[in-house]
Amino acid sequence: MGTDVTELFVVITVIAVALIFDFTNGFHDSANAMAGPVATGALRPRTAVILGAVLNLVGACLSTEVAKTISGGFFDDSLITVPIILAGLLGAILWNLMTWLFGMPSSSSHALFGGLIGAVVVGAGIASVNGWVIVSKVLLPAIVAPLVAGFAAAWATRLAYGITRRTPSVHSNTGFKYGQAFTASMVALAHGTSDGQKTMGVITLVLIAAGLQASGTGPQLWVIIAAGVAIGLGTYSGGWRIMRTMGKGIVEIETPQGAASGAATSATILASAHLGFGLSTTHVSTGSILGSGVGRGAEVRWSVARRMAFAWLLTLPGAGLVGGLAALLADKGTVGVVALMVLLTVACLVIYVISRRHKINHANVTDSHEVLVLAATPTAYADDPRLEPPAKPKKIKRPKAKSAA
Amino acid sequence: MHIDWSALVVVAVVSIVTSVIFTILLAAGIRLVSIAKIKSNEGGSSAAIVSVGYVLLGIAGLLVLFGIYVIVPQFH
Repeated sequence: MGTDVTELFVVITVIAVALIFDFTNGFHDSANAMAGPVATGALRPRTAVILGAVLNLVGACLSTEVAKTISGGFFDDSLITVPIILAGLLGAILWNLMTWLFGMPSSSSHALFGGLIGAVVVGAGIASVNGWVIVSKVLLPAIVAPLVAGFAAAWATRLAYGITRRTPSVHSNTGFKYGQAFTASMVALAHGTSDGQKTMGVITLVLIAAGLQASGTGPQLWVIIAAGVAIGLGTYSGGWRIMRTMGKGIVEIETPQGAASGAATSATILASAHLGFGLSTTHVSTGSILGSGVGRGAEVRWSVARRMAFAWLLTLPGAGLVGGLAALLADKGTVGVVALMVLLTVACLVIYVISRRHKINHANVTDSHEVLVLAATPTAYADDPRLEPPAKPKKIKRPKAKSAA
Repeated sequence: MHIDWSALVVVAVVSIVTSVIFTILLAAGIRLVSIAKIKSNEGGSSAAIVSVGYVLLGIAGLLVLFGIYVIVPQFH
């Protein structure tokens, strides 16, 4: 009886954590579809996230053929246990929150794989992980995705500008904005079908492992709806920090350029999802925006791109480290699970409080190109109400920031 | 571990070609419709140009529909 209750408690916790991961997945990837249209004004920020959220939810409900494994070939499926799934999810959630705090787009699937790998390494040793799969499924795609999408976007951007060179921008902007809205919607829908499925798969596996669902059956209706709603809510909340980096931080996006990069993003995502070489949505959209900037001959902020590349490289080991540490506690039964939940809550609160220092939301997302954390600039002190005088430095700083942007 | 280079090349080619085709259709359609608008404002006839423009935009729209067809698993 006692063990049954413990197991049920763990299962419920893992399901809750899986839904939290799904939520972070949504707000982390909201920008992939919507950063472009928000930056050019093709869609108003609120409209963009509502559209993205609805399409994510619809996408998640459309595609319920859950992958049989979540190990992705990185390690033996038999090593996957419920505590490992819990630890892996925690690693992925914390990595997603950290990168969000810094406004860095990074792949949620890489974070999930990283967390799981870290947890497996702690449980079964480093030899249980297939290093080649990491190269072929993580490193290589992370290089290929921005290159392919970047090339596509650069060429498309050149053509878009070349063809409409003599067209008055009053006419061309409307058309390109429609194009952008449609391609962004496709990206959001595709994202729902691929990423909503991930969480459904995790929950279904946990239910099967706990003997609450017959093995070999698909996700139950409530799982589909819960996963769809979680990713939709995440998308609706917007992840404005990442939205700012992608829409403003890498390069200023003009309307024709936005349409071209949107076309490149959706074409590359659909091709990769259906022609057998998986690429991360995040890497593709970032690559498109970079490429479109190069294609227009705009000033690309390569320092931002460099930081992003570091974030991508660190995603797997970073999430793996957290996942590994979490794995130490995860198989300690109820006490360990409760301790993990407390730690997760504390970590989320700390990150949230830090993010409030330089808040970014739908109202100010396109005001600047910088995502500030802590005392990244003196404004952190100027905003501090305890310091005198509070008003003056603010007024001096604001116009400067705007003229720079 | 085997890396599927041919899939990679296919994905790269299809991505680049599709993006370029879609953008050409969109941009050319926009340009033709704009030319037609300007012409008709000046009192000229522009029926042919405007219809070609809308045909191009329509084909771009079909590409979007094809994309949705690819995304939704129930369709295939």
